[in-house]
Amino acid sequence: MLKSLANILLLTVKELRAIRGDLVMVALILYVFSAAVWLVSDAGSTEVKDLSVAVVDEDHSPLSARIIDEIRAPLFATPVLLSPAEAAEAQTNGDYVLVVSLPPDLERDLRRGDEAEIQILADATAVAFAGNGSSFMTQLLAETVSDYLTPGVASDDLVNVVLRSRFNPNMTARWFTSVMQLMNNVTMLMLILSGASLIRERERGTIEHVLVMPVRPHEIVLSKIFATGGVILFASVFSLVVVVQWAMGVPIAGSLALYVLGAAIYVVSVASLGLMLASFTHNMGQFGLLTIPVIVIMILLSGGITPLESMPDWLQLVMRTISPSPHFVSFAQSVLYRGAGLDLVIGQLAAMMAMSIVALSMVLARFRKILS
Amino acid sequence: MGYVARLNAVSHRYKAVFALDDVTLDIPAGKVVGLIGPDGVGKSTLLGLIAGVRKAQAGEVTVLGHNMCDASARSTLGARIAYMPQGLGKNLYPTLSVRENLDFFGRLFGQKQAERRERIAMLTEATGLGPFLDRPAGKLSGGMKQKLGLCAALIHDPDLLILDEPTTGVDPLSRRQFWELIDRIRAKLTGMSVLVATAYMEEAERFEWLAAMNDGKVIATGTPEEIRAQTGKATLEEAFIEMLPKEEGEEVGVTLRPLPKKDGAMPAIEAFELVKRFGDFTAVDHVSFTIPEGEIFGFLGSNGCGKSTTMKMLTGLLQPTEGRSKLFGAELENGDMAARQDIGYMSQAFSLYAELTVRQNLELHAKLYHIPPERRAERVREVLDEFELTEVAASMPDGLPLGIRQRLQLAVATIHEPRILILDEPTSGVDPLARDAFWRKLISLSRDEGVTIFISTHFMNEAERCDRISLMHAGRVLDVGTPEELTERRGAQTLEEAFIAALEGETQADEGAADTDALKNDVEAVAPNAVQRAMSRLWAYTSRETLELIRDPIRMFFALAGPIILLITMGFGISFDVDKLSFAVNDMDHTPESRRLIEAFSSIPQFDQKDDFTSLDALDQRMERGNLTVALEIPDGFGKALHQGSAPEISLWIDGSMPFRGETAEGYALGLLRQFADDLATETGTESSDSLSITTRYLYNQAFKSAHAMVPSMLMLILMLIPAIMSAISVVREKETGTIANFRATPVRKVEFLVGKQIPYIIIAWFNFWVLAGLGLWVFGVPLHGSLPALGLAALFYVIATTGFGQFMSSFTRTQVSAVFATAVLSIIPTVNFSGLITPVSTLAPMGRIVGLSFPGAWFQPISIGTFLKGFGFGDVAINILVIAGFCLIYLTLSVLALRKQEA
Repeated sequence: MLKSLANILLLTVKELRAIRGDLVMVALILYVFSAAVWLVSDAGSTEVKDLSVAVVDEDHSPLSARIIDEIRAPLFATPVLLSPAEAAEAQTNGDYVLVVSLPPDLERDLRRGDEAEIQILADATAVAFAGNGSSFMTQLLAETVSDYLTPGVASDDLVNVVLRSRFNPNMTARWFTSVMQLMNNVTMLMLILSGASLIRERERGTIEHVLVMPVRPHEIVLSKIFATGGVILFASVFSLVVVVQWAMGVPIAGSLALYVLGAAIYVVSVASLGLMLASFTHNMGQFGLLTIPVIVIMILLSGGITPLESMPDWLQLVMRTISPSPHFVSFAQSVLYRGAGLDLVIGQLAAMMAMSIVALSMVLARFRKILS
Repeated sequence: MGYVARLNAVSHRYKAVFALDDVTLDIPAGKVVGLIGPDGVGKSTLLGLIAGVRKAQAGEVTVLGHNMCDASARSTLGARIAYMPQGLGKNLYPTLSVRENLDFFGRLFGQKQAERRERIAMLTEATGLGPFLDRPAGKLSGGMKQKLGLCAALIHDPDLLILDEPTTGVDPLSRRQFWELIDRIRAKLTGMSVLVATAYMEEAERFEWLAAMNDGKVIATGTPEEIRAQTGKATLEEAFIEMLPKEEGEEVGVTLRPLPKKDGAMPAIEAFELVKRFGDFTAVDHVSFTIPEGEIFGFLGSNGCGKSTTMKMLTGLLQPTEGRSKLFGAELENGDMAARQDIGYMSQAFSLYAELTVRQNLELHAKLYHIPPERRAERVREVLDEFELTEVAASMPDGLPLGIRQRLQLAVATIHEPRILILDEPTSGVDPLARDAFWRKLISLSRDEGVTIFISTHFMNEAERCDRISLMHAGRVLDVGTPEELTERRGAQTLEEAFIAALEGETQADEGAADTDALKNDVEAVAPNAVQRAMSRLWAYTSRETLELIRDPIRMFFALAGPIILLITMGFGISFDVDKLSFAVNDMDHTPESRRLIEAFSSIPQFDQKDDFTSLDALDQRMERGNLTVALEIPDGFGKALHQGSAPEISLWIDGSMPFRGETAEGYALGLLRQFADDLATETGTESSDSLSITTRYLYNQAFKSAHAMVPSMLMLILMLIPAIMSAISVVREKETGTIANFRATPVRKVEFLVGKQIPYIIIAWFNFWVLAGLGLWVFGVPLHGSLPALGLAALFYVIATTGFGQFMSSFTRTQVSAVFATAVLSIIPTVNFSGLITPVSTLAPMGRIVGLSFPGAWFQPISIGTFLKGFGFGDVAINILVIAGFCLIYLTLSVLALRKQEA
């Protein structure tokens, strides 16, 4: 037992040296956990922000001028005034997500108490923005119009709603995307690093060399997981504290220690998965072909891009069974945003652990076969 | 003409290491010229320069009267030179049959079908490959691969045939047959010059003119007789060793001391009827032998005859299919840690950790073998001393010469003082001097320390140094005994002859008879014009790439099933339809009004009502757990206040941890509340002062279904990712397997090479497009409002651009892995983030928009969305198609610029 631990430790140190020797990989890890987290979390957001808007103003009244004035940042880009024909063409070309159409005599009708209709044309091919964008626009228009027509009068709503957005009061997208981006990077790098470390040894023949020594396969496998996992875990926690929390100003509600524990388990489970994929392929080329779709699916269907609940039930079940990523996403959300304690996330941790055990058993079962 | 090639002051180096150091050499024409010397002295570099596959760095290389530094001269000479690179069958395509391989080479030289057929028939008949025309090259024996390589080289009737170590790793019978074949071909095709590099000194005796090389320099030239005469030695090998610069007091030669007889001792290794099968291939076929302790036992045989597999079974690395083996009388079992302490193993390929220094390597092994800490430092020092490694202790193994690396490996294998050493071709590629030193070391281990040594080799003179040897061929042991016994038993003069005699008994039936009389100097053919030749070369690559692809199940699976799997999972998985939001209430009012409000929420499919909550603590818990997205609290007195018109306050909590879902939930909830208030107002008659109605019309996707918008965008993503990766692998694969040499050594142009290889991927990717579009229409139910032909045309240009992008990536990357990942990373980020997949290009910040628009994806996405949902026809997409066509040209141009026709 003690010998076994000593072997694992020795091999882990060897693996760490190997990672340090691969300068390209080190540079990639550094880039991915620093600049890339920042860049992509700002770019890949579904937050309604600077949405492109055009206005077709056929009223030309002070009210319409006021409305146009009110459509502004941060939600919307400065609107462009177009004729109805131009607007139709521009929207077909995808130049504007929303077109607000103010009918003739809008102000006059409203002042008289006549029925009037403002139309919002939303380009529904931009599904992530059309819905929320138009609901924000509706709210803005309603408020602007009532404010303009009856200035100073508090809204005469029948019901007074006190709205509290928990865990992210302003629903700032980067609070969410930055952490999800971190998870995506962990997924991608762990799969590549752990799988490549096995295949590299196989291609160079060093694995045979180790196996004729008094070293057991599980010691080799664990050392690879500990070394690559340790590096990635360290980098991701560092990135969370320094880049996400400090530089980007995203608050972290829960316990960092608990997050590190969960991240460690996740890292182990993805590393096991990477090793398992590697055990099914013969060379780096094949491994690359197999990993890329796995990475894409694990990232896109983790619930970190669009909510898991929106997927069909069968797909949710499949993803929860084969991929640790949905469990980690929900774990990370609970701990980082909602400040959940261990008792609330124990189920997700157990699921991730179970997956790594299954994957590792497969790797070990296939280990001898790998050589032939 | 006197000289076939002349080198004047040629130097060549790789980083700091000189491969050739100021070489001036005139090679006579019309002869078989041998370039001799151990590995790594610059032979291959020299041949590469003459063949024009390497770029000359300094000095002048003139071949067949042309200067090789001149690109146009090289392209005309390409058709007159044939180059067979080092490594058995390395420029052949293992999944292609003999005929397909030769067809490919014929096409590269613009030969028409009739001419090719005639030449292939003639060459295969001449080499005895005739009966195997349909066998895949990868399934040929070593000797047959070598003959196929020769046919490929001779297909265009070259004036100069360059063979780089053509016989390394081939059994002695095939080797002898090969040289006889060369001689007969030369007799037929007079005027052809042959330039051969070899590390086997005994082969060099048959060449007409020799240049001996060492350490980047030519140390002697002349006929074999002249070279032997210069040194006064009987054989070329001795003469060569004599000519090498020597360190003082260095020992020369190896003497094997007799093995002390021990009667009744336990044999060190016993193998009983070992069999190993891989699938239906039997690698080792009932092999048995016994090795007494302290003996040096040799395994002699060609590459792939089962030597390595047998050795791996004895180390416990491989599990035998049948049979068993014993070490010192104990049954060898898988995972027996004690047995491993007794074995030292040196595998064929260099297999020490390149990332550790020499000393770290030794220390790691010392620790893994559990040498006690107090003894460890001393043992490492001992071994460093013993193997003369002290000077290089701090260096990385990769930077060391082969001879030293191989000493290091032996040092590592013996660090734990094992009783058995299993050495798999430890000396291949090592120069004769270092090899002698290595053998002296082995003999001392065996005789002084009683270590049993089991060694495999394909060098005859090494086999002669063993106590006993076993001749192996095709997985079977042909004969076992002392070298003298074996020679005697076959009535032969030398061990080599004995081995050949043993082989001849085995292989008569296997290979066809060679009939060199079939060879003719000129084959009648209509000379094709320049365009036909270019098309023929392009087609050579297209047809070959297609065949290879079809026969590679993993790549085929990735290419055909990959896009479908991705579209199905992502099409169902990535959805912006927010529904089934979990929702709970705490109704403290219990009036009809409060129930009506709750009813408003629970009646629409977007909300999924869960159990009520009764306290804020419970709410907190459920929200933290992530089980609740929206919560509503209706205070006591809500109904009453509502009737009094005093605007009661209700509380709404939304889980904002996922902002998109939160925002959408908020929109739904507020909409419902507004509706609730409006309805109430109408009923109670307190008519709202608001006469304004605001209506939203969703254009192009009235049902507002996520899949309708996402599937066309995913077409864009998937047709970027998969085709780019497929084509990225195609060029780099050739670099890795070595078949790129065919591109470098033949007249094929870069454009022909690139376009030729791209065509099959374009076809597959375009086929993928139709499958994906069909899935979109029928599985996801996306309506098609626009012109399908317009979309199809755009998709064709798009996949040309994306495969072109992959080729561009592969033209400067070195390995398949870096090509795959570089392509994925560089293409995924802009296509996912900046091409309109999720965020419309119109809302991107200027920087993001520029990044997006500089990839073809951002131009194809509007076409895909437009033709599916907006009713676009040809007119609407013409400009975007033109831009995408521009990308195709740009990527091709960049690839041509980045691809090197010559190696550095």
